[in-house]
Amino acid sequence: MTTAFNTSKPPFNLLSPAELGVLQNNLDIAYFQAGEVIIKAGEPPEGLHILLKGRVAEEDEQDVARPEELRHTYVHYTAEDYFGAWSSMRGRAIHNFVAVEETICHILPTRILLELVDSNPVFGDYFRNSFAGRFQLRSNGNVSQDMTEFMLARVGDSCMREPLILLEGTCIQDAFALMRERKVDCLLVRRGGRYGMVTGTDMLTALLQQGLSAATDVADIASYRLIQVGHDEYLFNALVLMTEHRIERVVVKDDQELKGILELTDVLSYFSNHSHVLGLRIDRAQTVEDLEEVATGLNDLVQGLNVHGVKVQFAMELIATMNEKVMAKLFNLLVPEDIQPHVCLIVMGSEGRREQILKTDQDNAVLMRNGLSWPEKQSVLEAFSRILARFGYPPCPGGVMVSNPEWVLSLEQWTQNLRHWSQQASGDNLLRLAIAVDAHAVAGNAALFKAARNWFFREMSSNQIFFSHFARAALNFSTPLTFFGGIKNKEHGLDIKKGGIFPIVHGIRTLALEHKVLETNTFKRIDQLIDSQQLPEKLGLDLVHALGLFIQLRLQQQLERMKSEGASDKDANMLVVERLDRLDRDLLREALHVVKEFKQFLTQRYRLEG
Amino acid sequence: MSLFRSLRVWRERRQHGDGPFAALFEPYEGDEIVSLDCETTSLNVAEAEILTIGAVKIRKQRRVMLSDRLDIKLKAPANFRRESVPIHKIRAMDLADGVDMHEALQMLLAYIGNRPLLGYYVNFDLRMLDKYMRPQFGFGLPNKAIELSEVYNNIIKWRYPGGHVDLRFDTIASKLDLPIIERHTALGDAITVALMYVRLTQGDCGVL
Repeated sequence: MTTAFNTSKPPFNLLSPAELGVLQNNLDIAYFQAGEVIIKAGEPPEGLHILLKGRVAEEDEQDVARPEELRHTYVHYTAEDYFGAWSSMRGRAIHNFVAVEETICHILPTRILLELVDSNPVFGDYFRNSFAGRFQLRSNGNVSQDMTEFMLARVGDSCMREPLILLEGTCIQDAFALMRERKVDCLLVRRGGRYGMVTGTDMLTALLQQGLSAATDVADIASYRLIQVGHDEYLFNALVLMTEHRIERVVVKDDQELKGILELTDVLSYFSNHSHVLGLRIDRAQTVEDLEEVATGLNDLVQGLNVHGVKVQFAMELIATMNEKVMAKLFNLLVPEDIQPHVCLIVMGSEGRREQILKTDQDNAVLMRNGLSWPEKQSVLEAFSRILARFGYPPCPGGVMVSNPEWVLSLEQWTQNLRHWSQQASGDNLLRLAIAVDAHAVAGNAALFKAARNWFFREMSSNQIFFSHFARAALNFSTPLTFFGGIKNKEHGLDIKKGGIFPIVHGIRTLALEHKVLETNTFKRIDQLIDSQQLPEKLGLDLVHALGLFIQLRLQQQLERMKSEGASDKDANMLVVERLDRLDRDLLREALHVVKEFKQFLTQRYRLEG
Repeated sequence: MSLFRSLRVWRERRQHGDGPFAALFEPYEGDEIVSLDCETTSLNVAEAEILTIGAVKIRKQRRVMLSDRLDIKLKAPANFRRESVPIHKIRAMDLADGVDMHEALQMLLAYIGNRPLLGYYVNFDLRMLDKYMRPQFGFGLPNKAIELSEVYNNIIKWRYPGGHVDLRFDTIASKLDLPIIERHTALGDAITVALMYVRLTQGDCGVL
């Protein structure tokens, strides 16, 4: 067929060839003048509109009469975008769709769209689902691959070793010397067409127990019943094989060719580098040096999780847990035991919310029991910050860390600060308050922190003026929805932190503070707010997915930039929309919709109009 | 419409206006136009053969009815010429399951009815079709013809008084900022021409 219709992009690539035939036989091309209303709110739309050229704005119903600058535009659609599906399936539109420029689009009539939606459930889901459902569709596409890559490494590309191979006729003495030289504990010896294996233990047994001489041919003491695994076998299966046979080594073969030897110790250390076994190692660390070794390994884990695209919430949780373990352990190693019950280490900001993925700035403070005398505290805490920096946690640029005496406070000073910040909640104070609200205890006596937090909850409760003031910050930055025309800011990209992440995080933070939610993680706060019916369930779930998406997209592009530029960049929050594929772009747009909806919710909730 | 053609249509209307094809000779009152294109073996009407016919309706001057289109492949002609293959990229084997000319013309007449016909150098296509129409039906296509390059020229010539207007297909398409949909397939060209027409008659051509 000869239409300029691209069927290789989602959701159309979900259709079977026969369904594509139906699609293409029913498409029309429509032309609209600038300013023309393509779909009118309240009326049934003709069908699904897929833009070939031009630009279309989705606007509020009453906006047509308004001058341009007062209009409330939700979204701009451009080439290859589509709109009207939802309206078609509902039977009528709730917004106006207006051509901003001259526009040419394909139209798939509602009747055919519904036929396709019925005949192809996956295609149907794409349109039918709420945002949360579509997000699921996206994750499903990724997850299987992520998990195999991360969890199921193959033998060939993990920790296989090159074998030391000797010929028949080599004596034990020479063989042993070669093993020492190569620093291995195992060799293969070739007898005829077969390979046999000899380990250090085999040699000892031969010499000491069986009384053979050191001149004996190693081929005589080798065992020829070798267990082998395929080159492309899962490492995990190799481990199972070794456990079953109670052996410590297997031979790796590719077809009939010998590739290498896989040792149990290597397999175990491979897994331990890549999983929560790290947690155990942190717990067992006896000295700062032990801990440093693990903390450095943690960087690899972070890298691994990111590179393999493990689901972002899971990765954040895991990394935050590890980071906290490291900090807690270091704190316990450095702070004398008799002091520990009287102090409490807290982490704040994104670390406190457990929403850091790449580099984790040190955002921490120490609370002390009123009147505690601890003369060495400055030197100890400075060492704490310094060592953390050595472990790869950069110092906080704003100085919010324990090496700064301003953040080493008695309970009384801390509560005074909180009160002061909340009474004059603007500028820096607002910022300090915001990170403090996200704090949670990591080491030392958590009761100290809880006392302060509960006091603050009580102090603030039903102080509507404060909350409304605090909430307003979430509306500070406009949602960059009209961006999608792709006209302005093309080179800079879209500041996803201001446009998407911050409004959600801060809005939820405000709600959480008001309703005394103890969780600090935004996702968990949302869960609790939904449970206590302070947040509509649908909005809450949409927020979870929107935030997850923002963080993931930001991370994706950060990693891409790190790869191409070899260094981290200053504009970590900049999202280049053009680089996203269409599904991500769709999701991003809808996620920004969710942000907008949430802002409206906040506006009503805290009466922030005007 | 050329004087010659209008005289011919007038004469054929008198002969066939009451026959089985009377409806074709009625003046058209609807709001549709048919954009039409033929791929042929050469540009010389006398010796060329039609390989494919593509047509698409335009409704109310603004909607290209892709869903109601005509895409006819004819049987390979006896004198299939290899020289034009590089242009239309149709090989004899591509026409293996084509229909014969008689059937094709029936389909075409049923599709276009008495609607005006739009094309790029439409007279060539009309003359090609007439060449086959006459022996079979005794008349040529009576439909009103709309020449795209003329529509374009009429709009653009005021902007370049006395200047030369480039009427090449690709130039018009790019001036109008339109995607060219499969150039040199009959249906593709018909669609592109339809889009050009809609753009010219509806759009803001001040930017050209």
